[in-house]
Amino acid sequence: MSWDDEIDEIHARRKLAKQQGGDAAVAKHHEKGRLTIRERIDALLDQGSFDEVGQGAGVPEYDEDGNLKDFQPANFILGFGEIDGRKVIVGGEDFTVRGGSPNPAGLRKSVYTEQLALHYKVPLIRLHEGGGGSVGGTSNEKNRRPLGEPVFHESRFVPLAQTLSSVPVATAALGPVAGLPAARLVASHFSVMTENAAVLIAGPQVVKRALGHDMTKEELGGPQVHLASGAIDNLAETEEDAMAQIARFLSFVPDNAWQFPDRLAADDPADRCEDMLATIVPTNRRQPFQMRKIIEAVVDRQGEASSFFEMGRKYGPSLITGLARMNGEAVGIIGNDCMYYAGAMTAQAAQKLRRFADFCNSFHLPIISFVDEPGFMIGPDSEKAGTIRHGTAAISAVLQSRVPWASVQVLKAFGVAAQAHFGPDGYVLSWPSAASGALPVEGGVAVAFGREIAAAEDPAARQKELEDMLAASQSPFPRAEGLSVHEIIDPRETRPKLINWLKVALAAYRNTQPQPYLTGMRP
Amino acid sequence: MHVKSEIAGSVWKIIAAEGADLAADDVIVILESMKMEIPLTAPKAGTLSKLHVAEGDMIGEGQLIATLD
Repeated sequence: MSWDDEIDEIHARRKLAKQQGGDAAVAKHHEKGRLTIRERIDALLDQGSFDEVGQGAGVPEYDEDGNLKDFQPANFILGFGEIDGRKVIVGGEDFTVRGGSPNPAGLRKSVYTEQLALHYKVPLIRLHEGGGGSVGGTSNEKNRRPLGEPVFHESRFVPLAQTLSSVPVATAALGPVAGLPAARLVASHFSVMTENAAVLIAGPQVVKRALGHDMTKEELGGPQVHLASGAIDNLAETEEDAMAQIARFLSFVPDNAWQFPDRLAADDPADRCEDMLATIVPTNRRQPFQMRKIIEAVVDRQGEASSFFEMGRKYGPSLITGLARMNGEAVGIIGNDCMYYAGAMTAQAAQKLRRFADFCNSFHLPIISFVDEPGFMIGPDSEKAGTIRHGTAAISAVLQSRVPWASVQVLKAFGVAAQAHFGPDGYVLSWPSAASGALPVEGGVAVAFGREIAAAEDPAARQKELEDMLAASQSPFPRAEGLSVHEIIDPRETRPKLINWLKVALAAYRNTQPQPYLTGMRP
Repeated sequence: MHVKSEIAGSVWKIIAAEGADLAADDVIVILESMKMEIPLTAPKAGTLSKLHVAEGDMIGEGQLIATLD
């Protein structure tokens, strides 16, 4: 007697599991220009590092003698793996089986993904392509199980919610993603979608029946929609690019909230001073400048490339958010983009900032803020969007921060919204171009001095005179005299000054025991 | 291809004339928004076949400004 038959059966079953939805379904998937979930996992992970969990899970079919006749693998693939030598958990729907809409074993594996990540405290990556439940349920007649989970069973959304404060979560939409997979897609710190992906609460047919809209799934939830809606952070040109962006994101964060991020060796000199910083801000306040060029001139270069990795460019675009390295240390970067409404804080920019500040605090990333804030966006659309509440919530998130903050006041810092750029006990550097006050002179003078201007012999000349006078009072020099900023600097000195501060600030911050970040009620 | 404005504001100055051959990043019009002059540029090279706005026009987010061929 031996176990040969059973061992053979294990190997036979493994082979069945790897068949996914069968040759025809896999070929059809490839014809659409898409990789299968197993190919995706191989593309993401270090070669040969995938260690699968639950490969034997599936929907079996037995003949009358109890022999396995057919086997539909679980349509969610799950396991451990490594990215650049770091352990991660990876999972994703198998679209070639039931279009990724979960079969019973697939559902169980998918729900277990977050629990695994929580238990082992390693980063979680989900590669999504699939639908949610259907009215038919996940069971077929032969596998009917009791409806719903028992009342004592923990909701699958509990670990989904808990992962965000415990481990870094990065996700990709690589085809149509709807229902529960879509919810899991956005339960992430960083998400990316390909050009042919669509993210949907419900698909075109359901929408047409309920609301009468005749739209394709791309029109409903393609990248044009969801990069701007903020549901998804970045666009990927190809699936490989999506994997590369996920790996890049992970390079900045620790394995979990109980650890600090790693420092990388930096070959970019800490004392590098860029001449262009002295001239990049136009003296004419009507003319815009490129904040990204300032950011890229200040943060570490890695060879020819900048270490700056932007996240969410199309959402709330008046505010730039991203990750970078400074002297090898991972940092969060925020900056106003004056190309969009002079950099004003819209409701979307405010929500983007709040989420980003919470993310940096969750994973111990110091924040460097490049400030050019004219204030909250004004006007009827902004009022209707509830900007004041979202903006105040962002300010609360910033001022409840625990991570080190530095702010470089490049140009404007006006109104209440300016507070969203200066963290508690923050280090403040001011460029000579900085201007601070209750509101920009261009908007404020005509209102505050309306009668005086109207009564003047030459109203336009009087307005210009008042504007020039008040602009001078918004100068950074009196602020430096009053120690309202730490230093007024030659813009070229920005990088060395920030790095000197960062060394001290991080030494102090890392004196504490890293813990998950728990926030309270916000406006 | 359609070139749309991502911001609301007004058309301050038209820079490129219809029929002009543009390189990527060439300025088509300058918009005025929140008291700043914001250039709207060609996303890629092409011929400016149609300008859909005139100087002084108020424009909204997502409005079509120009067509490039």
